[in-house]
Amino acid sequence: MDLNSIFYIIKGIPTTLEYTFLSFLIGLTLGAILSLGKLSKNIYLGQLTSFYISIFRGTPILVQLSIVYFVTPTLINYKISIFEAGIIAFSLNSAAYISEIIRSGIGSIDKGQFESARALGVPYFYAMKDIILPQAIRNILPTLVNEIISLLKETAIISLVGAEKDIMKRADTISTAQYDYFAPLLTAAVCYYLLVLIFSSIAKFVENRIKII
Amino acid sequence: MIVIRNLYKSFNDTEVVKGVNLTVAKNEVIAIIGPSGGGKSTFLRCINHIEKPTSGDIEIDGQTITKDNVAKARKNIGMVFQHFNLFPHMCVLDNIIYAPMKVLGLKRTEATKIARNLLKQVYMQKHEQDYPSSLSGGQKQRIAIVRALAMQPKVMLFDEPTSSLDPEMVKEVLTVIKSLAHTGITMLIVTHQMNFARDTADRIVFFANGTIVETSTPKEFFSSPKTTRAKQFLEKVL
Repeated sequence: MDLNSIFYIIKGIPTTLEYTFLSFLIGLTLGAILSLGKLSKNIYLGQLTSFYISIFRGTPILVQLSIVYFVTPTLINYKISIFEAGIIAFSLNSAAYISEIIRSGIGSIDKGQFESARALGVPYFYAMKDIILPQAIRNILPTLVNEIISLLKETAIISLVGAEKDIMKRADTISTAQYDYFAPLLTAAVCYYLLVLIFSSIAKFVENRIKII
Repeated sequence: MIVIRNLYKSFNDTEVVKGVNLTVAKNEVIAIIGPSGGGKSTFLRCINHIEKPTSGDIEIDGQTITKDNVAKARKNIGMVFQHFNLFPHMCVLDNIIYAPMKVLGLKRTEATKIARNLLKQVYMQKHEQDYPSSLSGGQKQRIAIVRALAMQPKVMLFDEPTSSLDPEMVKEVLTVIKSLAHTGITMLIVTHQMNFARDTADRIVFFANGTIVETSTPKEFFSSPKTTRAKQFLEKVL
């Protein structure tokens, strides 16, 4: 394998990161909403979110992605792009995991914090935003970073459903063209591994900075 | 000032407060004492609906507390907890001015002025930038009292304010509470500090098995309790 092939694979990093971050951001937003749904006193809302979470955690991401990509065109007569399908599937999937992370973070906050906020007359929304969530985020930050990392690795399966130019698909293209599997796949593995290392060290840095004094 | 009528509170099938009636006058200081597990704290927490009563009415300043006006009512009711419950991610000053700004709509400068005055009263003015985790238990509780006072409440509820303190810090907190008595704030204090109750309270409410067993002046209560239950209790604690 020549240097050009290596660069070709490395150029897949932006695409992989695009999938990762976009899906994570949408997943985080959706996940926060889901977690509040699950914590709400409304039984139906609680059951609905539990059902959602159970489905998305209980089936393989490859199946979810395939359903979104292959079933959408026949179902609503819309030719969905691989990019759209990927973002939708990864977002919906990570939302399920993230909602459970946020819920456990809120659950880890001492009951007394809610009580003193209420005793002071602080409205629920402000109590959540200013008192509970800032403490919860600190507690769940390491778990959230783990979620980004597993999302980053999961995006590799996008190459199984179609021709997207992420790290894995590019490695695959080189392999098939040159009848050499080891070098391209090794390059892909190193790319993923370095990205994961960078993510974890940034997380560690941030975690130390915002630790409760 | 405060009228409590037929208050009941159950957790699942366990009845914890069983039909309490109590009227508290403005500026009065009430000490609620009694055996552990008797429902004193739950009763106190029902007054500002931190614990929602199963049935019965709480009336404050002629207003019965309902689901709709509870938030408004809480502005007038300060509460101090056994475990302080300061916000660990905010410095002392932010702990104090947060609610006056968010709930009462005061400007930062106004709220800070009030906070600094109160901090001086409890000898904590040097600690306004400190975080709760760097303070001692007694200091934390004094800040928690200031935080409640900064809302300029008409009523203060103290839920065992010294029970989780080291013995040598009890006094500094009790001194602060004592200095608030008869300054226009109506106070209800759940406590195990008998001497403090005797010296500070206008009335002792003896609470056991979910009800008020006896109400009398401190002098009467500690020298000649009316009920055998109170006698038994005092024999054990004094």
